[in-house]
Amino acid sequence: MEGNATYWSENLRLIFISLAIWFVVSFGFGLLLVEPLNEIRLGGYKLGFWFAQQGSIYTFVALVFWYTKKMNDLDKKYNVEES
Amino acid sequence: MNKHTKTAIIVAPILTILGFALADLWEENSASQTRAFKLLPFGHCDVINQKCILKSGEFEVNIYDEAGMTTLNTTFPLDSATFFIVDRDNKASAYPLGMIDSPYYWKSPTPLRNNISDKGDKQKLRVIANIKGGQYIAEFYSQTVN
Repeated sequence: MEGNATYWSENLRLIFISLAIWFVVSFGFGLLLVEPLNEIRLGGYKLGFWFAQQGSIYTFVALVFWYTKKMNDLDKKYNVEES
Repeated sequence: MNKHTKTAIIVAPILTILGFALADLWEENSASQTRAFKLLPFGHCDVINQKCILKSGEFEVNIYDEAGMTTLNTTFPLDSATFFIVDRDNKASAYPLGMIDSPYYWKSPTPLRNNISDKGDKQKLRVIANIKGGQYIAEFYSQTVN
């Protein structure tokens, strides 16, 4: 029972970290910090503009794989992985 | 593909679309707030000889006078524009400009040509250009070169 509670709290922690990354990349880098980031150039593009157009999407895709790996690791740790 | 991969693949596009919808709302809200930008002359300004460009970022205003008709040509479409001639006592006479065919061209008859027709004549001018979500303002001098 205690193992279930710990598993769930670690699960929630991972979800909140993923949501925080989602927010920072899409809203933070793409909107709120777009002006200071635009001072930096990446391959000829302004970094703030790049995050708003492409960078956030790349991060979301990476986040899918990262979340899956971390959850699989968590399942293994608590012996609840799919057979 | 296990349950976590499926969950992530289903949730990610929903969050992406949600993020873009929120960003769109934010941008729309930001655009509706009026902001003021200062236009600065790009090089020497000579309205009479049709060489006067004001700039603020990517926004440019070309001001010229043809036979007493003062014209503004802008890189972005305007909602309205006003031209001011400022006298020695710093009193400004306003000339609201009318649109010519497209919101990129605005004009009005002004006495500017009479004021600074001779070589070396100088006149203080102001411009207010209204655009959705912003107001571009400028105070500058036009000096007749030729």
